[in-house]
Amino acid sequence: MKKMTGLTNRERRGTEDRRSRRALLVIAAALMALSLVGCGSSSEENSSAGASAAQTTAAQTSGAEGEEANAADEETEAMAEASEGSYSIGIGQFAEHGSLDNCREGFLLGLAEEGIVEGENLTIDYDNANSDGSIAAQIMQSYVGSDMDLICAIATPMAQAAYAVTRDTDMPVIYTAVTDPAAAELVKSDGSNVGNITGTSDKLPVEEQLQMIRAILPEAKVLGIMYTTSEANSEASVAEYKELAPEYGFEIYETGIGSQADIPIAADSMIKDVDCITMITDNTVVASLPIILDKASAAGLPVFGSEVEQVKKGCIAAMGLDYIELGKQTGRMAAKVLKGEAKAAELPYELIEGASFYGNSTAAEELGIELPGSYTEGGEVFDSISE
Amino acid sequence: MSTIILGIFEEGLVYAILSFGIYITYSILDFPDLSVDGTYPLGAAVTAAIIAAGLDPLITLPVSFLAGALAGICTGLIHVKLRVRDLLSGIIVSTGLYSINLRIAGKSNLPIFSKDSIFSNPVVNGIFTEGLSQISKLSILLLIVIVLKLLLDAYMNTRSGYLLRACGSNRSLVISLAKNDGFVKIVGLALANGFAAFAGCIMAQKQGYFELSMGTGMMVIGLANVIIGTQLFGRLSLMKSTTAVILGAIIYRACVAIAINAGLEAGDMKLITAVLFLVIIAVGNLKKAKLKASHS
Repeated sequence: MKKMTGLTNRERRGTEDRRSRRALLVIAAALMALSLVGCGSSSEENSSAGASAAQTTAAQTSGAEGEEANAADEETEAMAEASEGSYSIGIGQFAEHGSLDNCREGFLLGLAEEGIVEGENLTIDYDNANSDGSIAAQIMQSYVGSDMDLICAIATPMAQAAYAVTRDTDMPVIYTAVTDPAAAELVKSDGSNVGNITGTSDKLPVEEQLQMIRAILPEAKVLGIMYTTSEANSEASVAEYKELAPEYGFEIYETGIGSQADIPIAADSMIKDVDCITMITDNTVVASLPIILDKASAAGLPVFGSEVEQVKKGCIAAMGLDYIELGKQTGRMAAKVLKGEAKAAELPYELIEGASFYGNSTAAEELGIELPGSYTEGGEVFDSISE
Repeated sequence: MSTIILGIFEEGLVYAILSFGIYITYSILDFPDLSVDGTYPLGAAVTAAIIAAGLDPLITLPVSFLAGALAGICTGLIHVKLRVRDLLSGIIVSTGLYSINLRIAGKSNLPIFSKDSIFSNPVVNGIFTEGLSQISKLSILLLIVIVLKLLLDAYMNTRSGYLLRACGSNRSLVISLAKNDGFVKIVGLALANGFAAFAGCIMAQKQGYFELSMGTGMMVIGLANVIIGTQLFGRLSLMKSTTAVILGAIIYRACVAIAINAGLEAGDMKLITAVLFLVIIAVGNLKKAKLKASHS
């Protein structure tokens, strides 16, 4: 009896196994089919675009032969313009972040300045990796696979992922918000290009920043910097601060953190020992700027920013970057490559064109600090603290 | 299109190596091992440091495996000797490895683009000339994964492999054989983390850089590969579980690629993975429950 039930059970299990396995296989098959449809349609688009381009050139030559075909000629010319001036760009951004978003916004503005406008003659495929390296690689592969005209990579890990995927192809890559392209091996140590890749660096104007802090706080000695140990960009900035600080009579107090959760404690211990704090473009620390500002203002310490958004939020001043401007500069580079005026492999990478002064008069007044006129006159001063 | 498919297979094969490790801990030992989040970048850090120092890239293969195995032994000792719970031992080791990885690589992002790697060196470039260069990475990866799979299959049939398999499913058998099941667990963890570090080694050479944060979420990726593979193909009698795991890794990568190409936000990927997990596991569990109900 027992044996019997055992057998039937096993049999039943067998059929159910088969049924569920079949269900899963159906799901898998559906997924595969989906992928084929997705890829198929994009390649169809490509081939149809190619066909229409071929048609226009054929029409053009025949139009030039016959004078009566004037009307037709005009039409084909318009078509030729559209197909010639129609571009596709894949924009891969490493993380969701105010400065990086500004880069992207500026990039599109820079392209628009050169007559390449999204929705008119430009198709954008935008993806965000949300700080996941494995996703970053996959995003880049999908751009190469869908035959984009150009890839724009925002932030260092994204630029490295783009380089890794495109180095065997001839796809041009323009990066931005890479602090030290040489340290990331995106350019050779002598500054020459490693491949069909170039872009803009968001290297901080450290020297100008130190000069400005000295002008605002003639007595200050110890300058505090907080950074995340996992961010390569930040290490480069801290190293530069340490190198240049003695020239301006500063001593650097650095605090490395492992994650966002460490910031309150690290801020407390730093505030005890420093005369003022300066921000660098560290993604994690910048995201927690309000905590640092809160603790610093309670202790009466001034905090300097590294870019315009931080000054708006309550840093008293910055000789900083405007990421929208950086993005625009990057967009103009991309336009050159798209129009065929230059190859990415030949364009040297660029630093931001000039740092500008940003001040926050409200934040400065709260601490009883006056912003020197020599700076405020040429710069931009905000009179409120945005949340 | 062909680049996307090539990419899926390349990435899938790298993650398949990682999944061999997760397969040992999760499926065989029934040990949820979180140390892979630290041992995967450990392998990459060791590799980048060795290559940046100008040594032969082939050295990275055994060294990274050994480094990972050592870390796995630590997890095992913490769990077995200090009686720390399984999840916690993994968390402790992967947390500690964050600092160790940073020390080994020297900085949080160490590029090795300009150096030779197992994928790009005079020998490989000589074999895969012009037209073949596109498939050079895939061929090398395929070779590595197949060799590892055969080695793992062979190991499972040794005495030590039998004990490993017995340890997860029938602990009393191991004890009745007068064997210490703690020791068997440590061996399993060493192997598993060796595989994880080996995957990190291959990935670092494939992508051309080490990044400190590259280990985040590796446990989840590996688990997804193992669950998809074993649930879809595991009961096909002709197919070994190791093969199923490889296929699972490739299918999971394909799903990610489809999601990205379909215009899905990358941020939503985790939720989709979670739902996929739940559905696959729930299908298995509900089936078991039904079986029980019909039995009584």
